[in-house]
Amino acid sequence: MAPKYYWKGYLKLSLVTCPVAMTPATSESEKVRFHTLNKETGNRVVSRYIDSVTGKPVKGENEAKGYARGENDYVVLTEDDLDAVALDTVKTIDIDKFVPAESIEWIYFEKPHYLMPDDAVGNEAFAVIRDAMKSDNVVGISKLVMGRRERAVVLEPRDEGIVLWSLRFGDEVRPEEAYFEDIDEKADPDLVPLVQQLIKQKTARWSPNMVSDPIQDALLKLIEEKRKLLKPKKAAKGQKEQAARASNVVNIMDALRKSLEADLKNRQAG
Amino acid sequence: MPSGQRAQWKGFLKFGEVSCGVALYTAASTGERITFNTINKATGNRVNRIFVDSETEDPVPKEAQTKGFEIENGQYIIIDPEEVSAAIPESNKTLEIEAFIRCSDVDDVYFDKPYYLTPDKMGGDAFAALRDAMKKSMVAAIARTVLFRRMRTVLIRPHGKGLIASTLNYDYEVRSSEKAFEEMPKLKIQGEMLDLAKHIISTKKGEFDPATFDDRYEAALADLVKAKIEGKSLPKPKKVQVSKPNDLLAALRESAGMMKAATDQPKRTAANANTGAGRQRAARGAAAKSATSKAAPQRKAS
Repeated sequence: MAPKYYWKGYLKLSLVTCPVAMTPATSESEKVRFHTLNKETGNRVVSRYIDSVTGKPVKGENEAKGYARGENDYVVLTEDDLDAVALDTVKTIDIDKFVPAESIEWIYFEKPHYLMPDDAVGNEAFAVIRDAMKSDNVVGISKLVMGRRERAVVLEPRDEGIVLWSLRFGDEVRPEEAYFEDIDEKADPDLVPLVQQLIKQKTARWSPNMVSDPIQDALLKLIEEKRKLLKPKKAAKGQKEQAARASNVVNIMDALRKSLEADLKNRQAG
Repeated sequence: MPSGQRAQWKGFLKFGEVSCGVALYTAASTGERITFNTINKATGNRVNRIFVDSETEDPVPKEAQTKGFEIENGQYIIIDPEEVSAAIPESNKTLEIEAFIRCSDVDDVYFDKPYYLTPDKMGGDAFAALRDAMKKSMVAAIARTVLFRRMRTVLIRPHGKGLIASTLNYDYEVRSSEKAFEEMPKLKIQGEMLDLAKHIISTKKGEFDPATFDDRYEAALADLVKAKIEGKSLPKPKKVQVSKPNDLLAALRESAGMMKAATDQPKRTAANANTGAGRQRAARGAAAKSATSKAAPQRKAS
């Protein structure tokens, strides 16, 4: 499953520039998702656009983005127009600052992306920027237009690539004082060592098993049971049945994976 | 208890045999961004959205809609909302800490949304003891409970006088960085190139406070719309000059030179520059080593 890139542009440090591609580090493509159906016909329910004045259906090629200039007065903007917005940060990640790794508070981290060279011509330049950050134990600070906002981003070297985090804006993070003001500043000094002992006993290594989703598993099982009722069994005995069940599970995984393309397409459009 | 804020969730935080009443508050909201209206280009009017049957094109009222899971093209298994509800385990309203993990072991790519975690009046002592012990032991905690109709894992860590609980993405929602980067060539940069890049970095070191960052997009878009209304041609994006492998060293040297001039450092002779680089190299060996050992567990995302 080769990831599709949802952004392409340039990574720049001073006079060094290389072409890069970016893909989200997270994806909802393998989440169990339901479609809306018409109970009466069993067909999919789909959305259609109709003209708000004439009431007639609007053809796909006539759908456009409108910037509201006044009431019922819109300036139509094409994707090319939007790309022409006069900010270098639409296409270029220019790293203008470096800060110690882990000096940015986690609460500002919004969404992780993977950044990698987009052309062999830039492999070495990319590696120079990555390795220099790695050996200095710093992360880069830059800005980038993402989802119609210009966001601060953090670049952290990781394996062969770079993780790019978009950061939240100051007004998106609520001030902690309002929540924490009534909490005791000092803990009972006799209690702390006891809790530390408990911590020692219960310390474990991080594992992705800690973030499994039992509800999704239950839904998949439910779907599988219903699926079996859907089709009459051909040979209802022994090993054959086992084999059929196994292949059904595989099919469900296939069906889930199929939604990946649609998922990425939607992200690109956004 | 914060006044005027509504808790997203109230329940208990449990570690070992200790439990205390706690509440979760949204710590970050998504700010507004510029939205466009969908327009019918042919008439200039706004459009409305309706929901129709994909075969008959007849509108489907809300009460005739149901949910289905697609198994093969056009074949659906209908799942009632009640069946989905039945799959959600009964909530015991308890965030039970299952494990503590070292802060350096946390893989941040899993982070979803942050919440402020605060104690109720009775739970203050246990809460403060847990917070300070976690700070001292440099660990975060992993806890699970039913939150917002899903079984969620949260990572809890000390933050000032309180705790922050971040929901974590599920295993199947996170792509492995190893896989994402596996086709990249394994290049290791050393020698002059690395020294020059590190020099450039050293001139750009500083602090950054995300709270002070401003979004210039809205103003730039308003300018663009104005230009379009006035019929002016929109500016063409500047052509970006990519550094060719053969020019990379020269570009680094030139950048480093610029930085030197900018920081007003006295020009060093070639001999001096070499000694400087040698010293840095020795120091870096140690720094790189500690950086790798610290970061190594994070690379284990799968």
